[in-house]
Amino acid sequence: MLHGKMKSKLFLVFALLAVMLMVACGDSDDTEETSGTENAGGSQEEVAVDIFQFKVEFKEQFEEIIAMYEEENPDVNMSVQTVGGGNDYAASLKSQMASGNEPVIFNIGGPTDVEEYEEYLADVSDTEAASLALDGTLNGIEEDGKVWGLPFAQEGYGLIYNKEILEQAGINPEELTTFEDLEEALATIDSQKEELGLDAAMALPAKELWVMGNHLANHYIAPEFNSDIMTAYEAPSIDFEYGDQMKRMLDLQNQYSVQPVLSLDYSMQVEQLFSLGKVAMIQQGNWIYPTVEQMDAEFAQDNIGMIPMPFEGEKSDSLPVGVPQYWVVNKNSSEEQQQAAKDFLDWMYTSDAGKEFVLNEFKFIPAYEGYDADKIADPLSQAVYNYASEGKTIGWTFMANPVGWNEDVMGANMQRYLVDDIEWQEVLDTAESEWEKSRQ
Amino acid sequence: MNNRNLSFWLFLAPALLALTLVVFFPFIYGFIYSFTDWNGLTASKFIGLANYVEVFQDAEFLDAIVFTVLFAVVSIILVNILGLSLALMVTQKIKSNNLLRTVFFMPNLIGGLILGFIWQFIFVSAFSAIGDALGIEALQGWLSTTETGFWGLVILNVWQYAGYIMIIYIAYLQSVPQELLEAAEIDGASAFQRFWKVKFPLVAPAFTISLFLTLSNAFKLYDQNLALTNGGPFGSTQMLAMEIYNTAFSDYEMAYAQSKAVIFFILVAAVALTQVYYNKKREVDL
Repeated sequence: MLHGKMKSKLFLVFALLAVMLMVACGDSDDTEETSGTENAGGSQEEVAVDIFQFKVEFKEQFEEIIAMYEEENPDVNMSVQTVGGGNDYAASLKSQMASGNEPVIFNIGGPTDVEEYEEYLADVSDTEAASLALDGTLNGIEEDGKVWGLPFAQEGYGLIYNKEILEQAGINPEELTTFEDLEEALATIDSQKEELGLDAAMALPAKELWVMGNHLANHYIAPEFNSDIMTAYEAPSIDFEYGDQMKRMLDLQNQYSVQPVLSLDYSMQVEQLFSLGKVAMIQQGNWIYPTVEQMDAEFAQDNIGMIPMPFEGEKSDSLPVGVPQYWVVNKNSSEEQQQAAKDFLDWMYTSDAGKEFVLNEFKFIPAYEGYDADKIADPLSQAVYNYASEGKTIGWTFMANPVGWNEDVMGANMQRYLVDDIEWQEVLDTAESEWEKSRQ
Repeated sequence: MNNRNLSFWLFLAPALLALTLVVFFPFIYGFIYSFTDWNGLTASKFIGLANYVEVFQDAEFLDAIVFTVLFAVVSIILVNILGLSLALMVTQKIKSNNLLRTVFFMPNLIGGLILGFIWQFIFVSAFSAIGDALGIEALQGWLSTTETGFWGLVILNVWQYAGYIMIIYIAYLQSVPQELLEAAEIDGASAFQRFWKVKFPLVAPAFTISLFLTLSNAFKLYDQNLALTNGGPFGSTQMLAMEIYNTAFSDYEMAYAQSKAVIFFILVAAVALTQVYYNKKREVDL
């Protein structure tokens, strides 16, 4: 009896499996067919443009602008796929390419990616957007008069402060231009932290390798390469000309931070500590604005500002500003598709409707000429834009550092240094030798 | 006979087909790619064993092996001890048996990523709050050192799998014939003797299964590792699966990662097969 039951159960399981498999196979046949007919139809009238993009934060707004564009251009049929930032995007882009299902528009990050995707990149120098791109925003994606990509937007980072707390402590953030000033100010805040209701003066999220390895380090590395991304990309070695200052900044943040720093992550730093007024100052960029706004809209609008980290040298009082990602067009897609893709990107960044959307909905800091800077809504982006337009910027050369070097070498060793595992000199020595090794 | 053969293969075909497509083919491809300079997009040339030579000089990979083996040993022992204890407890005649079984099994129904984030909150925020309240220094800064990261992973893993392993032990404990236990009792065996001399040898097949499951699971752990520590601090709690993933998808060294994966496969297969072989020999038949 039991045996019989077992058998019939087994049969059921197999039958189910078989059905599932058939459904799966049937499904894939279907999609192939429909996409086949689409393509056939596309070459006559409709152009299909597949976009594979990584910025999860503006997925909805981006889909909106695409709907707008499709309404104006009924012969273009666009589809967007958004895959989460960082590693996941690179991995899924690769598998898309390998599967033969290549997107027409996708994103890359800088010279390292240019080299990797060489065979896929179409020249976009004939677009209007490329000619309007601000000085320096095409560094690293431009070669012999050819432009491989169009910048998304600009981003910048520095020390973001809480106006009210600094005021109460009697500190004017505009005057904190040197290490000594900053040290003194932090000591003052630290001595009054109970009256000010603070946990500590700062919050250093040492758990996040990128905050230290990419951003903090870049502030003291980029000047060594004259802020030029290609110089960094081609440099056979790194000398850490300003390594002492990097140490000083790291030590300073660590000394006045909520402890233990290695448990602090980005969300604690920005949401729990800074947005709730538990620390006076953090090292972050304009991208934290939407998060702070969600926590406390009023605070975000009126009560925060950004100043550069101190730097002794030619580029003092400068903010590191760079382009995080670029739009690129796939050379392997058809002529019509490439043209349609370029038209769309042009429209998004240079038409009036597009510009409006980029400023107000995407809340981007534009990387192109012809935008009305007063319309930049949030104070952090405003600060970045102001520094950029005054030419007081340091580049983002970390985008051109050897693959994995920023986080796995620089960031990880800074963590080791913070827990007294190794000396500062060892951080620099390892970083130097790893750099040379991968640039051989 | 012929007919039976046909239906045999017919029924097997779907599973076999699926297995071939998603396991065997990728495996063979991966193996071939490990001898090339494949970067995920193109493989331009065969470079022989160069990748494998490099693997054995890769400090990060070797550290990950040591960390994973340590983790596996500790968590296998703890999961099985706890799983067996729970099983013994809920096979006693207590009222809330069924409720307890459900409760112990429950952690296993939650996905690894979510578990990782929940425990991260417990270790970082809850532990430090309790530490503050009670003045216990040791509860501060969990997951910020290699040791606490290690024990954090072990605790998470044990908590999640003990309930699952418990179910296996329950099945075997319940199949221990009652008359043997009664006979032992009449012969004057104490409760401990009844467990150690009668039940324990009879549940030996359960050890084979449980050890195998916990072993392969401990070696292949990825999502809990990702959610709880993400390899931090400074990559010191990075387990093998994560190290390989990072080589492939953040350093873009696909072929090199493939060769690591092949070594990983050989390692896990060797350990698991040896373990099954030895356990099989120890099993007692009724």
